[in-house]
Amino acid sequence: MADLRNAVLVGGNRIPFGRIGGAYASATNIDMLTAALDGLVARYGLAGERLGEVAAGAVLKHSRDFNLTREAVLSSALNNHTPAYDIQQACATSLTAAVQLSNRIRVGQLDVAIAGGVDSASDSPIAVNDRLRKTLIKLNAAKTPMNKLKTLATVRPGDLAPEVPAAAERRTGLNMGQHQAITTKQWGITREAQDELAAASHHNLARAWKDGFFDDLVTPYLGQTIDQTLRADTSVEKLAKLRPVFGDEPGASMTAGNSTPLSDGAAVVLLADENWARERNLPALARIVDAETAAVDYLLGQEGLLMAPAHAAARLLTRNGMALQDFALYEIHEAFASTVLCTLAAWESDDYCRDTLGLPGALGSIDRSKLNVHGSSLAAGHPFAATGARILASLAKMLAAKGSGARGLISVCAAGGQGVVAIVEAI
Amino acid sequence: MAHVVLDAMPGAAGLYAKALAPARRPDVAAGLADTTVRLAGHRCTVAEVAAYNSVCGFVLADELPATWLHVLTFPLQLTLMTASDFPLAPAGMVHVSNVMTQHRPALITEAFDLVVRAENLRPHRRGVLVDLVGEVRVRDELVWQGRSVYLNRQAKLAPNPEPGPAPKAQGDGSGTDVGASDVHLATAGLWRLPADLGRRYAAVSGDVNPIHLNPLAAKAFGFPRAIAHGMWTHARMLAALQARLPDSYAVSVEFAKPVLLPSTVSFSVAEQPDGFEASLANRAGDKTHATLTLTT
Repeated sequence: MADLRNAVLVGGNRIPFGRIGGAYASATNIDMLTAALDGLVARYGLAGERLGEVAAGAVLKHSRDFNLTREAVLSSALNNHTPAYDIQQACATSLTAAVQLSNRIRVGQLDVAIAGGVDSASDSPIAVNDRLRKTLIKLNAAKTPMNKLKTLATVRPGDLAPEVPAAAERRTGLNMGQHQAITTKQWGITREAQDELAAASHHNLARAWKDGFFDDLVTPYLGQTIDQTLRADTSVEKLAKLRPVFGDEPGASMTAGNSTPLSDGAAVVLLADENWARERNLPALARIVDAETAAVDYLLGQEGLLMAPAHAAARLLTRNGMALQDFALYEIHEAFASTVLCTLAAWESDDYCRDTLGLPGALGSIDRSKLNVHGSSLAAGHPFAATGARILASLAKMLAAKGSGARGLISVCAAGGQGVVAIVEAI
Repeated sequence: MAHVVLDAMPGAAGLYAKALAPARRPDVAAGLADTTVRLAGHRCTVAEVAAYNSVCGFVLADELPATWLHVLTFPLQLTLMTASDFPLAPAGMVHVSNVMTQHRPALITEAFDLVVRAENLRPHRRGVLVDLVGEVRVRDELVWQGRSVYLNRQAKLAPNPEPGPAPKAQGDGSGTDVGASDVHLATAGLWRLPADLGRRYAAVSGDVNPIHLNPLAAKAFGFPRAIAHGMWTHARMLAALQARLPDSYAVSVEFAKPVLLPSTVSFSVAEQPDGFEASLANRAGDKTHATLTLTT
C-alpha cells in the first residue's frame, strides 16, 4: 500500500443549538447548514475557495432537500465549484461523514473537505398519508378539469391526517426512548445515576461556555449566542422531581431531564491534508486514527437498540491493540443519560464482554472525570445529524490543548441499531 | 418643515384605503413640502423575515436582504404620499425604478431608525415623476439608502420646475432603453410564478395593493390579470445573487412590462468586473419585465 497522507482536523464551527420551536423555529435545514458553513469559512479564510468536497446531511429531511448540502454550499461563501453530497446515518451522520472524508484525504483523493450535519425538529417534514399522496399524484396527472374534480371527490376527511415523523423505529414501532427504557431496566441503571449524569452535563457545558471554550467553535445565529437548552442552574434535586416519560411503572426512570431534548442546529468540521493546512498556516489540531461502525440485531430484543457502540469499541480497540483505559478523554453521546451508563456498564461486565462481544474479559471501567468534560447532548441539545461534528470539533480542540499524541475516544449511537466509534489523536 | 414621527409601523392596508379615497391636494406646481416620516428603534421578528425570505428565495441569515429594508420603509412612503400636503394622488402610481445602497450588512438583531422623504418632483412625457428616498440607520450609522421612482400619470408639470441633480436611477419610466444593454446575459433560471404569488408576497411584505391580489381588482386598473409586485421581482433577482453579495453594494432595478400572474419568467445574468447585470423576461425572451444592475 502506498504511503498514506496525514488528514488533520483544522477546526470546526457550529451555531448555538436551539430548542424545538425556539430561536430557529423559522429556519430551515439549508438556512442553518449555510450559517454553520459560512462561520467556518469566515474563521479559516475560505471565502471563494474551491474545496475538495463537502459531505453533510440531515436526519429529518424534506424530500425537496434531496441535495441539501449542495444547496447549502451554493448559498455559502464557498466557491460554487465545490462539490457536495448528502450523507445520512441517523445520529452518526456527521461523524461518519468526517471519517469518510478523512480517509479520502489520507489516500490523496482530496486536499481539503468539510463534514457536517444539520437538523431541525421545528421545521420537520410532515408527509401527507399514503392515500392522499396517491390521490394527489393522480390529480396532478389528470388532464381535464372534470377528471381533476372526480379525483378530488375521492378525498376523504381521514386522508387529511398528516404523518408527523416520530423517533420511532419503523420495524418495532417503539420510539427510541421506549427502546432505551428496556435496555435501562436490563442493565439496572438507577434514576439517581441518570440524573447525576444529566446535571453534570449541564454544569460542564455551562462552565465551558463561561470559560470561553466555544469562542472559536461557535458562531451566533439569529440572535442566539448560547445553546438554548442549557440549564446552568439545574441540579440532581431539581431533576429528581421530574416524572418519567419512557418505560413502564414501577421502576421507570427516564425523564425529560435525563433524555436529550429535541433541538435545532448545525455543525461542521474542516479536514485537510496536513501539508495543505500548514502551507496556509491553518491549525492542525488532531487526526482520526481509526473508526469502526457496528450494527446490532435489536428486532426481537436480542440486543438494546442503542448498544452498537459497545460492539464497535470492542472491535476498534482490538484492531488498534489498545485498552479502554488508554485515552485522555472520552466523548460518549448522551442520547439518554442511561445510554451512556448502559455502555459503561457493558464494558465493565465480564460476562457481556466475553459472551456478547467475544473478548477475553471485561474492557473495564474508565475514569469518569475524563468523560464528556465540556458537557454533551443532554445539555447542548441534539440536532441529530449535527452531533458528531459538534463532538469531533470540541474533542480535537481539547486534545490539542493536552499536547501531541493525546488520544480521545468518541462513541455515538444511532437509530436502526447502529453505532460509530472513533479514535482521535492530537497532532 | 413637517415631521411625522411614527411610534409604530403603520399598516399598509389602511394607508391604501386612504390612498384610494378622493382627497384635496396642493398644486403640483407648488412643489413638494419638506416633509419627513420617521420611525425609530424598529425591530424585525425572525418569523416575519423568514416568511419574506421564503417567498423571495433568500436563505435566512443574520444579514437582512437589502430589499427587506425597502419593505420596512414602504409603509412610511405610503404615510408620506397619503398625507394632505403631498401633491400627487398615490392611487395608480407606477413604480418605475428603484435604487438601493447597502453600506454594511443590516443584522436581524439590530434596531433600525427609518426615515423617508420625497424629492426631485419632475415632469415626464407621461405624467410626473417623484423620488421617495428612504434611509435606515443603526444608532447614527447609515446602513442603507433607497430611492424609489414613482410615476403619476394623471398629473402634469411644466418642464424643469425644480432643477436639481438628476436622480441616480437611470430609469425615467419610459422603458425604451430597458434591455438595450450590449452585455450578453446567460439564462440562469426559469421561474414558475404561481397565480397566488401576489397574495403570498402581500402577506409577507404588507404591500396589499389590490392590483397584485386578484384579477378583478387588476382589471379595474387596466391589467388583464393580477400582476406580480415589482419589488418581488427585484427581491427574487437579488436572492439569486445572495451567496455572491459583498458587505456593501448598490443595486438598481428598472421595471418594464409588468409580470401577469401566473407565468413563467426567465432570469438572465452576467458577471461584470464590478458586479452583475441581470434581467427578468418572459419565457420567449422578447419582453423584458425588469433589469438589474449591481455594483460593488
